[in-house]
Amino acid sequence: MADVNDDNSAAVSVLNVGKQFGAATVLRDVSFNVAQDEIVVLLGASGSGKTTILRIIAGLELPNDGRIILHGKDVTNLPARERGTGVIFQNYALFPKMNVEENIAYGLKLRRKKRKEIRETVDRLVELVHLGEHRKKSPSQLSGGQQQRVAIARALAYEPEVLLFDEPFGALDAQIRGILRREIRGLLKQIKVPSIFITHDQEEALELGDRIAVLNSGKLEQIGTPFEVYNRPETEYVATFLGAANLLGGVMSGGKFTANDVSLETDDMTQFRDGEKVKLVFRPEDVFLRRPENLTQRYQKLTEGRIEEVSFVGAFERVTVNVDLPDKPTIIVTRPKTETAVFPLHHGQEVTVGLVRFRIIPETANNGTA
Amino acid sequence: MSATVSGIRHVRGFDVVKPLSIVTMIVIMLPLVLLPLASIFIFGTSNGLGSFWNALMQPEAIFALKLSIVTSFWATIFNVIFGLFASYVLSRYNFWGRNALIVLISLPTAIPTAVAGFALLLLWGPYGTLGRLLEPQGVHIMFTAWSIILANIFVTFPLAFGVIKPVFDTMSRSLEEASATMGATRWQTFWHVTLPSLRGAIVSGALLTFARAVGEFGSTILVSGNLASRTQTAPLYIFAKFNEGQVEAANAIAIVLALFSFVIFSILFFARDWLEGD
Repeated sequence: MADVNDDNSAAVSVLNVGKQFGAATVLRDVSFNVAQDEIVVLLGASGSGKTTILRIIAGLELPNDGRIILHGKDVTNLPARERGTGVIFQNYALFPKMNVEENIAYGLKLRRKKRKEIRETVDRLVELVHLGEHRKKSPSQLSGGQQQRVAIARALAYEPEVLLFDEPFGALDAQIRGILRREIRGLLKQIKVPSIFITHDQEEALELGDRIAVLNSGKLEQIGTPFEVYNRPETEYVATFLGAANLLGGVMSGGKFTANDVSLETDDMTQFRDGEKVKLVFRPEDVFLRRPENLTQRYQKLTEGRIEEVSFVGAFERVTVNVDLPDKPTIIVTRPKTETAVFPLHHGQEVTVGLVRFRIIPETANNGTA
Repeated sequence: MSATVSGIRHVRGFDVVKPLSIVTMIVIMLPLVLLPLASIFIFGTSNGLGSFWNALMQPEAIFALKLSIVTSFWATIFNVIFGLFASYVLSRYNFWGRNALIVLISLPTAIPTAVAGFALLLLWGPYGTLGRLLEPQGVHIMFTAWSIILANIFVTFPLAFGVIKPVFDTMSRSLEEASATMGATRWQTFWHVTLPSLRGAIVSGALLTFARAVGEFGSTILVSGNLASRTQTAPLYIFAKFNEGQVEAANAIAIVLALFSFVIFSILFFARDWLEGD
C-alpha cells in the first residue's frame, strides 16, 4: 500500500488485519498507520468493514488475523479495558445517570486518581470543550453537539492512546455538521492525539482527514492525503466513490493511453504493460470544452464530441457530452460561471474535449471480489 | 393544545356524547369496583375509629400483618435479585433454549395459585419428593414461615423479571462498551453503568412483587396450615375471622391491606417519572 510511515513514528499500526463473521469475510489484510498528531478517516459504504476495524482497534472485537500496535505495544490480545483507547460512539453513549462532570471523571475514578487531580482534569477539559456552564447538567439536557463534546472530553480525560470516532456526525443536522467538523478538527490539531474517524460521507472525509483510507468490501483500496485520493485515485472504486468521475476504456500502447484514434501522453504509467487494458479516469471539473481546433496547448486533446444536454445546477453548469469513441459514451463535464459566460454551449453543438488532469487505472481495478 | 382547540369547537354544537360516556363508565364501575372498596371503609369505621383500632391491635392481627410483611419481604428480595440475574443472562447471551426459559420463568403467573400451593405441598410436604428426605433430618418446610416464603416466591416469580428484562433489552450496548474502553471491569461496568439505569425497573419490580406477595391467599392457605399466631398471614386472618363471624376483626385488616395497595399503586403510578428519570 501507499502507506510507508515507519513504525517508530506510528502511534497506531493496523497490521494485516483480517476478520470473518462466520462464513462472511468482513476485513481482509488491512494495514495502515496513524501518526501521533494525525487524523485518518476510514471512508467506505455501509458494509465495507470500517466499523469493524474501529471495534478491533478498541478491543471490542477480536481479529482473526493480524495485529494492532498502539504506541509500539502489541495490544492484539488485550481486552478493551486495558488498551486505553477513547471511543466516541455514534450515539455518544454518555452515561445517562451521571452529569457532565461525572461522565468526564469516570475514566479517572476507574484509574483511582486522587480527588484533587480528578477535579483539576475535569476543570481543564470542561473549559477545553466549552461546557463550563453545563457541567452539572445530565446528558439528556444537552444538545447533540454538546453531548459529542462531553464524549470527547470524557475520552481525553485519561489521555487515550488514540481517539476513535464512529460516524460522530451521523445523528446531527446537516447544518451544524459542518460547523462541528471544523470545530473538532481544530480541537484535535490543538491537543495532538492520534485520531481515526469512520464515515461514509466523502465531503466529511475530505474536510476532516489528514489522510483518507478508502475501504471497499473489507479491503483497503487506497490511503493518502485528500488531494492524492481525490486527484490520483488508484482504483475505479476510489475514483467513483470519492466524487464524480468519468471512466473510459482503452489500451496502453507505447506508454500512451489509446482508444480508437485517441492517444494521451502520460508520465506516471510505468506500472502498465504494453497492450494492457486500462481505464481513463477524469473528474467532470477537469475537462475543458472548446470550439474544434481551438484547444490551447496546456490541455491534452481527448477527442471530438457533441453537446447532449446543458443544465444549470447552481454554482456551476453541468454538461453531458457524447464523445467520438466506440459505443459513443457520454461524459459529464462541469463548468464554472467564468467559463460559461465566455463560451456558452447549446444542444447539438460540436466541441473539442480537452483534459486538464486524468489518471490511468487498471481495467479490473482490484475492486475486491465480494 | 389540540384538546383546547376541539373543546372550543364543541361549545357551539354541544357534544352530548362526552359527558354521557364518562357517566356511563363510572356507573358501570360503581357496583363492580368502587362500591366494594368503599364499603370496606364505611363498614370498618361505622363503629368509630376506636373499635377499628382495637380490632387492629389484637395480637393475632398484628402477628398476621407482620408475618405477611416479613415473608413478602424475603420473597421480594429473592425475586428481584433472581430477576436481575435472569434478565442479564437472557438478554446478554443467545443460546439454545433461551426462549423456552423465558416462557418457563413467566409461567407461574398463569398457574392458579391453589395449584401452585398444591404443587409445593407435593414437593416439600412430609410425604413429598424432597420433603421425605428432609423430614428425617428435622428440616420442616411446609406449615412454617418458610413455606409461605416459597409460595410467595412461586406466585410472584416473573413479576420483577418481567419489569427488568425489557429495560435490559432496550439498554444500548454501547454504554457498557464505552465503560469497558474507558477501563472498567465487567463488575465495575455493571455497578456504575448498568445498575443505575435499572434503578427504576428494580424499584417498580420490587413494589409489584411485594404488593402481590402481601395479598397472596390461594397458595398460602394450602402450604401454611393457617395456624393463628404461627403461620397465619393477613389474608388468611381475614378469611379465618370472617368464618368465625368476627366481621369487624376481618374488616380492620382488610382496610390495612387495601390502603397498603393504594399506596404502592400510587407510588408506581405517580412516581414513574422519578423512577425512570435521569
